[in-house]
Amino acid sequence: MDDGTTLWDEFKKGVITENALLKLMVGLCSALAVSNRLENGIFMGIAATFVLVCSNILIALIRERIPYQIRIPIFIIIIASFVTVVDLVMKAYVPVVYERLGVWIPLIVVNCMILARAEGYASKNSVAYAAVDGLGIGVGYTLVLLVMGFVRELLGTGKIILFEKTIVSLGPFNPPLIFVMFPGAFLTFGIMMALLNRYESRKKQ
Amino acid sequence: MSEPYRYFLIFIGAMVVYNIVLIRFIALCPLFGVSSQVETSIGMAMSVMFVMTMATTVSWLAWNYVLEPLHVGEFLYIPVFILIIATLVQFLEMVLKKVSPPLYRAMGIFLPLITTNCAVLAVATEAVKPGFLNLNVAYHFSLPEALVYTIGVAIGFGLVIVVFACIRERLETSPVPHAFRGAPIAFMTAALLSLAFMGFTNLLGL
Repeated sequence: MDDGTTLWDEFKKGVITENALLKLMVGLCSALAVSNRLENGIFMGIAATFVLVCSNILIALIRERIPYQIRIPIFIIIIASFVTVVDLVMKAYVPVVYERLGVWIPLIVVNCMILARAEGYASKNSVAYAAVDGLGIGVGYTLVLLVMGFVRELLGTGKIILFEKTIVSLGPFNPPLIFVMFPGAFLTFGIMMALLNRYESRKKQ
Repeated sequence: MSEPYRYFLIFIGAMVVYNIVLIRFIALCPLFGVSSQVETSIGMAMSVMFVMTMATTVSWLAWNYVLEPLHVGEFLYIPVFILIIATLVQFLEMVLKKVSPPLYRAMGIFLPLITTNCAVLAVATEAVKPGFLNLNVAYHFSLPEALVYTIGVAIGFGLVIVVFACIRERLETSPVPHAFRGAPIAFMTAALLSLAFMGFTNLLGL
């Protein structure tokens, strides 16, 4: 890029000002579905970030050779290949998490967040910027997943279990199960968005 | 379990008990993106049903007659299915344009969106790959079962998207707290709808 943005700016943009989930509202499906546990959030975040960075780098590398008319199928094939890598690696090394994430791993292919970065950024920028952009968006996505996973698991089950160890416990209380169930995802995400709106309108005044 | 009853269970399970949008969070983008008007939602629902049914049929055939016999299904199913869907959507667009211009005008704008609609890929994957589905009716779907399942999912999707559009049309004129205006209140609505759909849990023992 020539307009003087540094790599650090690109990274920050992905994490904060253009946060995929809270700002652009892309990639919502997987985020809402897997954020019922902190652990799921960690693995899903890593998987999506890996696919984002790799596909961004590859697309930026070959961007001048991709014919414009068939760019979308090419992007999808590239993304699908990296998703297959993640699919097989997770199945082999973390079968328990793989089972829990289920259909969401293959569905990373059609996560609009990744295709949007490929089309809107990686196909127009140099490799280093594309990689950093992928990393920034990925980290932003992961952070939202972590916050949501933390809130939902803590409120819904009363404790947080990470790698089979209880790390936080609220002690004896009857947790509102609804937070780990389906409506809890919409509720938590809606409140997060509203808080962000409120914070921003305060800052403007 | 008698044959017709099993089809009935698959259909009800796919449509409401495991509703694709509200219970399984698949296809949220069209829910929040398209569903601000009832009319467009109906158009979207029809096109999704159309594409989904065709995509599942072709994917099922590809899995059972090409990928499985060659033992490459495990690591090739993602690219193959997504290519099938993308090609099918492109093909449908051309056919509709040629054969039925009114139908093309009604569905045309939604077709490209559907390629990246995760519901289509999810349903195609679930209909052929055993193990992803929670339904305890059948794991290896036969082709008619896969089709019944797909149509159930598509109707469930249409039902939610139309109901949601009706609510959102009303919300436009309601007094909403400032911070909740726009997307957040839509999520709150979805939470309440999802709560209502949770009432179907365990229906007919599914």
